[in-house]
Amino acid sequence: MIKFKNVYTMLSTETKKEAGIFCIVAALLMLIPGLNAWGPESGLLSVSSFQVSLWGKYLTYAILAMSLNLLWGYTGLLCLCQSLFFALGGYAMGMYLMLAIGDASGAERALPDFMVFMGYQDLPSHWKPFDSFWFASGAVLWVPGLVALIFGILAFRSRIKGVYFSILTQALTYAVCLLFFRNDFTFGGNNGFTDFKEILGHSINDPSTTRWLYIGSALLLLFTYLITSGLLASKLGKVQQAIRDSENRVLFSGYSTTSFKLVIFTLSAMIAGAAGALYVPQVGGINPSLMETGKSLEVVVWVAVGGRGTKWGPVIGAILVNLFKSYTTQAFPDYWLIMMGGMFVFVVLVMPNGIVGVYQQVKASIAQKRSLQTAEA
Amino acid sequence: MISVAVSFLISPFRAVASLLLFSLFCSISFGASERNARVVFSELILAEKLDQQVLLQELSNYGDPAIANIYEAWRTGGIFILTDADAVRLLQFTDEQWSLVATGEAVTLSEVEVEVAEKTRASRSVRKQMKGLLDTLGLKADDPNVRINSAIKMGRSLKPEFVPALESRLEVEAADEVRAAIREALAISLLENGDAAEKLASVEELAELKSVASRGFIEKVLEAEVTAGRAESPLAIASSTTLRTIAEHMNLMEFLSSFFRGFSTGSVLLIVSFGLAITFGLMGIINMAHGEFVAIGGYTTYMVQTFFINTWGLSSEAFGWYFVISLPLSFLVAAGFGLVLEKSIIRFLYRRPLESLLCTWGISMVMQQCFRLIFGAANVQVNNPTWLMGNLSFGGFNMSYTRLFIMFIALVVVLLTWLLLRKTNLGLHIRAVMQNRGMASSLGIPVARVNSMTFALGCGLAALGGSVLSQIGNVGPLMGQQYIVDSFMVVVIGSVGNLLGAGLSAMGIGLVDQLLQPALGPVMGKITVFFVIILFLQWRPGGLFPARSRSLDD
Repeated sequence: MIKFKNVYTMLSTETKKEAGIFCIVAALLMLIPGLNAWGPESGLLSVSSFQVSLWGKYLTYAILAMSLNLLWGYTGLLCLCQSLFFALGGYAMGMYLMLAIGDASGAERALPDFMVFMGYQDLPSHWKPFDSFWFASGAVLWVPGLVALIFGILAFRSRIKGVYFSILTQALTYAVCLLFFRNDFTFGGNNGFTDFKEILGHSINDPSTTRWLYIGSALLLLFTYLITSGLLASKLGKVQQAIRDSENRVLFSGYSTTSFKLVIFTLSAMIAGAAGALYVPQVGGINPSLMETGKSLEVVVWVAVGGRGTKWGPVIGAILVNLFKSYTTQAFPDYWLIMMGGMFVFVVLVMPNGIVGVYQQVKASIAQKRSLQTAEA
Repeated sequence: MISVAVSFLISPFRAVASLLLFSLFCSISFGASERNARVVFSELILAEKLDQQVLLQELSNYGDPAIANIYEAWRTGGIFILTDADAVRLLQFTDEQWSLVATGEAVTLSEVEVEVAEKTRASRSVRKQMKGLLDTLGLKADDPNVRINSAIKMGRSLKPEFVPALESRLEVEAADEVRAAIREALAISLLENGDAAEKLASVEELAELKSVASRGFIEKVLEAEVTAGRAESPLAIASSTTLRTIAEHMNLMEFLSSFFRGFSTGSVLLIVSFGLAITFGLMGIINMAHGEFVAIGGYTTYMVQTFFINTWGLSSEAFGWYFVISLPLSFLVAAGFGLVLEKSIIRFLYRRPLESLLCTWGISMVMQQCFRLIFGAANVQVNNPTWLMGNLSFGGFNMSYTRLFIMFIALVVVLLTWLLLRKTNLGLHIRAVMQNRGMASSLGIPVARVNSMTFALGCGLAALGGSVLSQIGNVGPLMGQQYIVDSFMVVVIGSVGNLLGAGLSAMGIGLVDQLLQPALGPVMGKITVFFVIILFLQWRPGGLFPARSRSLDD
């Protein structure tokens, strides 16, 4: 107890504030499954299972936005293949869920439906290990990580940066997306995976499964936050931010920026993959449209709206933009694209630091006005 | 004879009248300087059975499509004889419209005349002979393409009765391509109907003609020889040699046409990416809405086309001009939109390239939805003007006029852009601003105006690409999207800001893409191209022509 007290007094006020916010957010996040499990049946405080999985989906989006923020906000790499990593993680988990359908129906290693339609006799060999949940969970991390590592080596080695990096990552997404749209690529082509039945032996539509998936997403979000904070405080994080501010100076100081960028890029891809793995069972399906080039740009918009280079900005951005999107698609089906597009333009032009930065922005402009007034007087 | 007698019994007046008329017609038409298919046909309708033979023979010399038309009317009871006090007229009634058989002129008849007009029908013997005549009608058509198609069809039907018609046509045919088609048709027909020696000769002839259409027939011959236990016969050997020759020829043609397609794909890419190279390379703006400006070009072309159809009609002379007009118009419309966009939004983003990407993406979403609201979500139909239809044939290798025209436009675009950048004041300013914005500004160059003009130019070029694309692809809200990723690649490979590089890399990507497609399929081809690009950048990170500079870029 005494030891803890010592540590607490050692912390700066800034850190204390952050810890406080972290605890509040954690409590708020747990409110939703809590109300779903023990809350009233109806009324303001009732939360349906549908809402739990909807918010669970938003949380995975928020994690995706945080992973991009790590790259764009703190390293200056605008990556347009974040949704690709998200989808790769999703596909890895989806493969397990597809095979779990067969287990649920009691058949001995039944083929997924789309393979039956395609005339497969036996499961392709790269599918076989995904029978195990733990293998799939591993693949959720290492598949996107490996893709990021290989692409990163090629891209960073030849000093591709800035806009060129964005364009190349977009092209990578485009190429892989085309690949997944093919029916003979053994990933269900156009339709992807759907009709999941159970996960780890629990029915996927069971309210308690929904709650646990939500809790998993919330924990991953908090964990990602801790990783980001820890990283930023470490030496790696300092170099990372220095790269964002001036890569050449870091290079001249004797740091190999390539390997630093590679580590961040791979880490961010793995986080995105994990988010994707939680997304798929909560949404109930995955298809290649998830990795279309537009989706990655959407993630960038979430970060921009929330505030890039801030710890909670991406979370706020992802949730707000998606709430706005689901409201406008229902209320104005013909005009929602125009409203979304208009919002992006507005945010970029008027709020360069996002929602989180608005307070600072307003304070700065008031201060500027005051100083002008005093100068005039 | 019986039929004549019967017809006399049924309508003696008519028979007499037709006899009289026939002589009358003969005297008139013989007096005229020229006998054409219509005149001969008129005589045939009015003639006696005995004379019909001669007239049918004469009619078979003509290839006028009107013959088929008149015959169809005759067979179905649409030909009438109208006897007036002073003249006899032969009339055709088709689609509620009366016309003179002898000249094809449309006429209006009074009700009395309609009542007294007598219907006439082709006799059975005439019908039988007309059938053969009509089948070979296409061989005598004025249009060589119709002659070629007709010959090929006759050859493929393998009917021996066409052989004399084909042979007689071969004697008089002057056009080389048609001769080749007739020889091919004859050879294919003989493969089926001829004796062993004729078959051998045909197979050799087909090898010489490199006839792709005959492969199936030769294979059949070869198979028959092998099953008959004569695998080593001269015919079998000649057949397999011929098949090999044809296969080689096809490979060559396939390669050539991939090459051609590659150039034309590259040309489209070039026009689209030139606009991008200007906005992105020269100004540092990543215009994600570039694809929507391509769509503006497509839709402008569509609107000009609709205007022309509504004003002058689809088949009018004037319709052919719509594309010529829509090209510059697309450029101007999109340049106007670009100018407005630059003034209102883009000019705030010059120092923030990554954010310009986000902002223009938002703009592209807005524009896409506007297209959907105005023109509907489905693709709209844009017709080719007649002068762009058809192919330029070159020894069996076809190049469509549309694609040739696209290459031409690409060439013009390259030339004009080069002239603009190198020979005009605006070009000088653009290059100065591109090299050093601050320095250019302090030397008195109106940077803001130059920026607007450059952005408008880039948007205009995109729309020009869209207008051209409307001739070979779909026009829809998403038409620009499929080119945008490729175009960015072109700009990166060709070194940003270097138009020569952009041109070369557009052609290169187009060619590699199309040459890989036959082997790998469209998707794997695209993916391979992408990985080739990544590897290329390992070797030359700055693209084809990296800009030389001693300054650091951040």
